[in-house]
Amino acid sequence: MIYKVSYVVIGGDYPGGIKNEYERPEPGDVVQIGRVKFRVMEVHEIIPPRDDFQFLHATVKPLHDVAAGETAKPAGKDKLSD
Amino acid sequence: MELVQILRSVELFQGLSAPQFERLASLGQRLSFGTDEEVFHQGSVGDRMYVIVGGQVEIHFDQAGVPPLYLGSGQIVGEMALLDQGTRSATVISVADDTEVYSITNTDLMALCQQDTAIGFILMRNMALDLSFKLRVKNLGPTTTG
Repeated sequence: MIYKVSYVVIGGDYPGGIKNEYERPEPGDVVQIGRVKFRVMEVHEIIPPRDDFQFLHATVKPLHDVAAGETAKPAGKDKLSD
Repeated sequence: MELVQILRSVELFQGLSAPQFERLASLGQRLSFGTDEEVFHQGSVGDRMYVIVGGQVEIHFDQAGVPPLYLGSGQIVGEMALLDQGTRSATVISVADDTEVYSITNTDLMALCQQDTAIGFILMRNMALDLSFKLRVKNLGPTTTG
């Protein structure tokens, strides 16, 4: 299964991104969008799966915001840029 | 990795048979870009589309207040100019040292679609689905655009 994920940044002026992942992103994971790393907060399905693809919408926050005291899974996997 | 293997993981090409994949793979070329290298510029003539095979690109809009969008592996860029014959709607810049794209000219792709209308149907359907996905994403959050 391939996960086509739209990463949307909560708050601030950060851009979002779209990329294919081979593992479903989970809350607590770290993802790099452009030059900045973010923590995944929530993951939802946008539309039903088709063929080998699932279509997901993930909200993310900059790592420094999360580190400042907001809730996050401490042992998230790193999903860095491809 | 073989190009056909890579293309099989791209949504745009979902539904193509093995021979159709081979035909498609023979038409394009693989290009590499380093960090901050420009793939194409907003306003320029768009004569080809790109599939991002690896790395990441920034979609940058000249308009004030429009944040950039980042696209990673499996995503397509430059398809709007292919469809509507307009100029590039954004500037695309590599933001990784190992960004690799698969490039195919509009002329070659449209010729293939006309020669084999089954391929044409699949590609045009998948391109419409990708644009639909980007539109849904744009509607979901204020910080993304497509």
